[in-house]
Amino acid sequence: MIKFQNVSLIYPTSQKTILDGLNFEIGEGEFVLLIGETGIGKSSVLRLINGLVPHHTGGILAGNVEVGGLSTRDVRPGELAELIGIVGQNPVNGFVTDIVEDELAFSMESLNLSNEVMRKRIEEVLDLLSLASIRDRKIATLSGGEQQRVAIAAAMVLHPKILVLDEPTSALDPVAAEEVLAILQRLVHDLGITVIIAEHRLERVIGYVDTVIEISADGNTRIGKPDEILKESEIAPPLVKLARALKLPKVSLSVRDLRKDTENIRNTGNEVAQRHEVLGRELIKLDSVSVHYGDKIALQKLDLSIRGGEIVALMGRNGAGKSSLIKSLLDVVEYKGTIKKHITKIGYIPQDANDLLYHQSVKNECDQTDKDHSLTVGTTYKLLNKLVPNIKQDIHPRDLSEGQRLALVLAIVLAPNPELLILDEPTRGLDYSAKELLIKELIARSEKGAAVLIATHDVELVAELASRIVILADGDLVADGPTMDVLLASPAFAPQVTKVMSPRKWLTVSDVLKAIE
Amino acid sequence: MKTADIFRFNGFRIIALTLTSIVSAAGFFWPFFSSSNKSSLIFWIATPLALLLLLALIGQAKLDAKSLALLGVLSALIAALRPLGAGAAGIEPMWFLLILGAYVFGPSFGFLLGVQSMLLSAFLTGGFGPWLPYQIFAAGWLGLLAGLTPKIKRIEIPLLVIVGLIASEIFGVLMDLQFWPWAIGPKTQLSYLPGAAIGENLNRFFSYHVASSMAWNVPRAIFTALLIALVGPGVLSALKRASRKANFVSEIKFI
Repeated sequence: MIKFQNVSLIYPTSQKTILDGLNFEIGEGEFVLLIGETGIGKSSVLRLINGLVPHHTGGILAGNVEVGGLSTRDVRPGELAELIGIVGQNPVNGFVTDIVEDELAFSMESLNLSNEVMRKRIEEVLDLLSLASIRDRKIATLSGGEQQRVAIAAAMVLHPKILVLDEPTSALDPVAAEEVLAILQRLVHDLGITVIIAEHRLERVIGYVDTVIEISADGNTRIGKPDEILKESEIAPPLVKLARALKLPKVSLSVRDLRKDTENIRNTGNEVAQRHEVLGRELIKLDSVSVHYGDKIALQKLDLSIRGGEIVALMGRNGAGKSSLIKSLLDVVEYKGTIKKHITKIGYIPQDANDLLYHQSVKNECDQTDKDHSLTVGTTYKLLNKLVPNIKQDIHPRDLSEGQRLALVLAIVLAPNPELLILDEPTRGLDYSAKELLIKELIARSEKGAAVLIATHDVELVAELASRIVILADGDLVADGPTMDVLLASPAFAPQVTKVMSPRKWLTVSDVLKAIE
Repeated sequence: MKTADIFRFNGFRIIALTLTSIVSAAGFFWPFFSSSNKSSLIFWIATPLALLLLLALIGQAKLDAKSLALLGVLSALIAALRPLGAGAAGIEPMWFLLILGAYVFGPSFGFLLGVQSMLLSAFLTGGFGPWLPYQIFAAGWLGLLAGLTPKIKRIEIPLLVIVGLIASEIFGVLMDLQFWPWAIGPKTQLSYLPGAAIGENLNRFFSYHVASSMAWNVPRAIFTALLIALVGPGVLSALKRASRKANFVSEIKFI
């Protein structure tokens, strides 16, 4: 179906070869996952498939990309539109209309299909992606998972044979991500569509895909079954890391299989002491804080206290009150009750880190921060360099990769040394190395006595990072305790390592290693 | 091979643009050459027809996806900005964006952007009437003018401020011209005098224009210039970045 032969690529304004002699072949009806470090060219591969690269971007393409028997040398992307559906990284950027049904009809109207055909196909795709109940809704009011499904549906109405998705689940909470992946798997199994995705969160997708293509920095491409590739790949989900660390003979991709292989370890391992933290003075205290939006109660009589040195993970469904809590701490929403702050400096990183960046270059952003907080000139850039070396000063902040941008925002927020740092869903779209960077920096800050409050859906991050978890549901506080206790109390939300090792109290791979020492 | 260019008038479309512009210009300037008030009726039909013809020819040009997307987003923004200032004398926040957009993407695109955003904003404001084709042509010409501004990086903003002032004034003159024969009845010192010498009517028109300008054109020019000076640098860099990212006319090579 898709054939890459010795494909290398150079973009017009750069000297660097992005892909170097890429070779692989994908058959019909395969579910393919593309992995590789950030910046290695995953998005370029996806856009090579439908010819957007190089027809829209320019550049030099060596080798041949063949799709459904057509070479992208000879056909323009428009002619492949009916063969290939493509869903971008952020579906919201791709929507053209307001209402779900209109959005589904849009691409068909562009191709001038008859009304009867359009009606039939819309009904079909509404059923296929379980969207019938939200067909009249405004797209802006949908949840992230629903929006992603609408984007997939909009691509499916043209009956493509190939569906290409760039990080379809990165921005979603675990439940929504499963929803989307299950739908994709159904498309592959029921309709024989070829699906190709690039994704950072391997632990979510690896169970669904048939084939993995790994692009490594040295230019080697490997293609094969998930367990074969992951046995040696540079990027690995926690389950694989655990299997490797324990030197198990084979790599299992499901919790069930790995549990069978590790029974012995569960029985013999030692207890691991919980991470010890030095609690500082109380920094902030909430006393029966409530937030209302009209009739809707977002937060109900919440009591909470945060001390220096703590890393508190704030968890719960979308709409559970996480953002309302953060907003009331920041004084940007009206609340009842009292919030006592014993600190002056709070750093805040919003969900979309772009919201903090408004200058034309990295240098200007850094200089502005130095000026705003009367720091020595160069402080912020020095910090940025410590986090991620070699970011060019004159580059536009929006041209940075997700990981680099997070580093820049971190540098801007951390430069004035805030005593409390608040982060709202910081790991969207981050790869493993960017996540490690974040974890390292946050732990270093907390060891110096600062407190961190982090709202997130990412249990793996919480397991590595947090010392305490607060779970909200419908504006109520339902759990508040040390990470270990809270995560172990609800098996469904536990990180992968804990699921494998339950009932033992080990959260991370390093915990397990310590236990069997 | 190269990637697609931004929309440009070429070949017979330049001729079509010139001819339809002449028809439309005649629709503005007839009072100085005609001896009868009735001439205007011809242009009330001729100008919209010229506009339709031009749009049909542009439509045939098969706009490239990138030009189309840019045109769609920018004209929607401009059209949405127009009603924001409605009512307040001359406070029309649409012009600065039209000027900046046309400046970055060139005269052909500028013309199209002016035409499209005026047409679109008429839907929003309900401003349909015999004046609409005139407004559309005038906006198109202003886009064209802004697109022709020389690109001198060091004095970009001052230059665009001046273009903003001139463009606002031209639009004011054109709109007054279009309205003047009907505006104040036949009997006053400023009224259009059918059949009089050009000099006489020019004199009357400019007196009328100066009198009416105070309310609309001067505030519009100042407001537009001010917006360009204040938000111009930011908007310009965003537009230029979009232009860079769109990779117009980049080399494509297969080896």
